Amino acid sequence: MNVATTKIDPVFFSFALDYLQRYFPVTPVQAEFMMGYSEMRHFDKKIIIVNDGEQENYLNMVVSGLVRKYVRRGKSEVTLQLATEGHIVHSEISFLNRVPSPVVIETIEPTTMVSLNHSNYELALQNMPGADRIGRLLLIAMFVKKDERHYKQLHMSTRERFLEYLKNHPHMLQRVPQKYLASYLNIKPETFSRLKHLVKLK
Amino acid sequence: MISGFLEFMGRYIALTEDEKARLSEILEVRTYDKKAKLTDLGEVEQYLNFVVNGLIRKFFFNGKDQVIKHIAKERNIVASSVSYFSRLPSNYIVETIEPSVVVSISRDNLEKLFESGERWERAGRLMMADLLIEKEYWLLNMARYSPRERFLQFIKEQPDLVQRVPQKYLASYLHIKPETFSRLKHLVQIKNNIIKQS
Repeated sequence: MNVATTKIDPVFFSFALDYLQRYFPVTPVQAEFMMGYSEMRHFDKKIIIVNDGEQENYLNMVVSGLVRKYVRRGKSEVTLQLATEGHIVHSEISFLNRVPSPVVIETIEPTTMVSLNHSNYELALQNMPGADRIGRLLLIAMFVKKDERHYKQLHMSTRERFLEYLKNHPHMLQRVPQKYLASYLNIKPETFSRLKHLVKLK
Repeated sequence: MISGFLEFMGRYIALTEDEKARLSEILEVRTYDKKAKLTDLGEVEQYLNFVVNGLIRKFFFNGKDQVIKHIAKERNIVASSVSYFSRLPSNYIVETIEPSVVVSISRDNLEKLFESGERWERAGRLMMADLLIEKEYWLLNMARYSPRERFLQFIKEQPDLVQRVPQKYLASYLHIKPETFSRLKHLVQIKNNIIKQS
């Protein structure tokens, strides 16, 4: 498999930690545990990290690069998440319920992630002080994000979704192939092109 | 009233008698008429509710249209959950469809409970994982299934709700146009009649 695992780089780890601390405080002792249990994984671009039907064994935070989570629907793909620096991405259902993944996790750009494998996740829950609390707060953060995204999808018009996304993620238009972005925003490809053209004119 | 909720929590940790007593102390039983609001738009959600009996929907307005996000029946949890967790004003309205009885637990009390010991923290994490997974499956099904597949899956899994919930709510919940929903329902009725006759 096209993955290289390396010992964790403290600089990368502190980046991941800073991101986590936006959601909840992490004590120095907890940080020490987390660093001990984590590993760094490097992937080329366009690598399938987890395919549908496979077991997800990792909880990942992207420290550089870009990862796409999607579900296959007939011959097409529906993009569910575009994860960049600081984002958590994995197949939640497979990781938590220990069932085959219904989704595909695939890199778009060469990507480095700080990853926690499932057996270390279990060890952390046993050994790290306050692990259940941190786990709960992390799940809440993920839950809120999912809900907000879905709420926006239902509440905003196609045009509003497009404009809001570009405002908050100005670099993504360059980084992500248009068909993935259109799918992620639930916008028809032809409508997406038209909207993109409008923005350029402005 | 509260035994159902104790059973629900018992899925996450095997509760001792003391723990059951501790939990029971902070539960509130609330009773509502039909079409009564538990949570209104802009309010901060105070409660996580376990449905003892009745039927409750969570929805928001998109212009004049109501968009149904969740339909909770007996033994389901319902709340404006993001507001509950984030303490931000609710984007949703939580309202009964049928007269309902819920067992409710306030955010402050639940937080205190979770912080009071490792076993409770563990129960809290496992409960949250379940809520996340439930949401993820729902989002996934919206993405991967056609309206027809969503309809068929729903009537297979929750045939009782097809009778109990007004059709326009179900159509909205499943993201199916009302006219498509009627057509699909009609198709299924024809099929059932054929099966009965043969």
